[in-house]
Amino acid sequence: MQHKATDRIIFMHNVAKTYENGAIALKNINVSIRKGEFVFLVGSSGAGKSTFIKMLLREVVPDEGNIFVNGYNIMEMNHRDIPYLRRSLGVIFQDYRLLPNKTIYENVAFAMQVIEAPRRTILRSVNSVLDVVGLRDKYKCFPNQLSGGEQQRVAIARAIVNKPSLVIADEPTGNLDPETSWGIMDIFHRINRLGTTIVMATHDKGIVDTMKKRVIAIENGTIVRDEYNGGYGYET
Amino acid sequence: MKLRTSEYFIKELFISLKRNNWMTLASILTVTISLFILGLFLIIVTNLNRMASTLESRVQISVYLQDNLGSEKTEQLEEKIKAIKSVATVKYVSKEEAMKRFQKRLGDQKYLLSALDNTNPLPNAFEVTVKEPDLVKSTSLELEKLPGVDTAVFAQDIVEHLFDITRIVRLIGASIMVLLTGATIFIISNTIRLTVFARRKEIAIMKYVGATDWFIRWPFILEGIFLGFIGGDIAAIALRFAYEALVQKIYSTLAFFPLIPLFPFLNYITLGIIFAGICIGALGSSISIKRFLKV
Repeated sequence: MQHKATDRIIFMHNVAKTYENGAIALKNINVSIRKGEFVFLVGSSGAGKSTFIKMLLREVVPDEGNIFVNGYNIMEMNHRDIPYLRRSLGVIFQDYRLLPNKTIYENVAFAMQVIEAPRRTILRSVNSVLDVVGLRDKYKCFPNQLSGGEQQRVAIARAIVNKPSLVIADEPTGNLDPETSWGIMDIFHRINRLGTTIVMATHDKGIVDTMKKRVIAIENGTIVRDEYNGGYGYET
Repeated sequence: MKLRTSEYFIKELFISLKRNNWMTLASILTVTISLFILGLFLIIVTNLNRMASTLESRVQISVYLQDNLGSEKTEQLEEKIKAIKSVATVKYVSKEEAMKRFQKRLGDQKYLLSALDNTNPLPNAFEVTVKEPDLVKSTSLELEKLPGVDTAVFAQDIVEHLFDITRIVRLIGASIMVLLTGATIFIISNTIRLTVFARRKEIAIMKYVGATDWFIRWPFILEGIFLGFIGGDIAAIALRFAYEALVQKIYSTLAFFPLIPLFPFLNYITLGIIFAGICIGALGSSISIKRFLKV
């Protein structure tokens, strides 16, 4: 599929990464993801999905190739610019990573405090994203008073509160039961419909097969399949 | 830095101090003890240094004049000596005065002088001190060349020994201070490391949501500064009391001992110790947070 370069939110060309112990994490990675896409990243554990995601956050820098994320050149960017790259992204992890000693409201507001947003903007935006994830009435609770699914929704609220154009989720439903997972996927679906690009690494076959989105499969550090309206397995 | 951000930092600082109250107490105590010892050494070294300087500056050159030099010529000579750049003071000692001193020094053995039959073999002299101890030798050579001067002498071997001793005292003092400062920085950085370690998840989350390194660093640096400041204050107060007591004790028994007077010396020590506490605190926390910023 041809599209203008400016449409790309993620672009990787011949990317390779070998870890210090000699293990090859990724090689020959060529991917182009347009704004507004919903992409599943599938593959067995250790296939290279995590490295893929860490490169998008510039937690890991590739050895070779080129990566552009949201207009940032990952290979050549200054260390000082990393925070600004990350502000343009929303990140969600399997283990939620909430701060246990802060309330739900404070956890979400935290993401805006660290980028020094005005207090009034924080109040408005936090309330609005808590509405989006359906937790407005629990804003005073602490994370341990919530279920896993609710905690993950707080994490999503935190990821989207700064209105990122790209949301990266690393197995967000990995710790949740199917029904709760679908609640989470519903939120992702809605965020995506509003124009946010979503890249989600997952092991959840049911979700991938049902949602019929673009699927990128990684095995042994290389992309073995990249198809639209894809499914989880190889039989599609 | 924006106002609400500073507000956030200060709030974070007190939350952290309260949350780790035992650690806070322990670190303040450690800082206090280290800075107290540091200050003690500072006081001792400064005193030794001063003593050395006093001794050094007391090294005088005795300029013996030729016999029968008229009073006019003697006065001219005094002006010439004063004109030498390295000379600090010049004092005239007449042969009569020299004799009196000599008699005094002999004390009970004064009778020995009767052999002289009331003649005075001592020459008129100038006692010259120099501005810098290093200048003693060159100045005495210069003085000897002046007309009317017989010889200019100073206790060369004593001077050289003194220089060696003061040099060693200063060197040892400086090394101990450096070591103690290093140790204090290490202790503070270790203490703050525990706080940082306890909050590493928070730091990682801050990094993921796009906080700049400085935004993350500030609350910890403030914490270090705070610990250093409080520890420095306590140490400074303790030092004031300790030095006052010491000075009193020494003056009541060894009155001639050249200790540095309490003021303004203690004010400098106080400011210095507090300032050192702040710097050491800031440095210690910067060191300990460095590793955790690599996300």
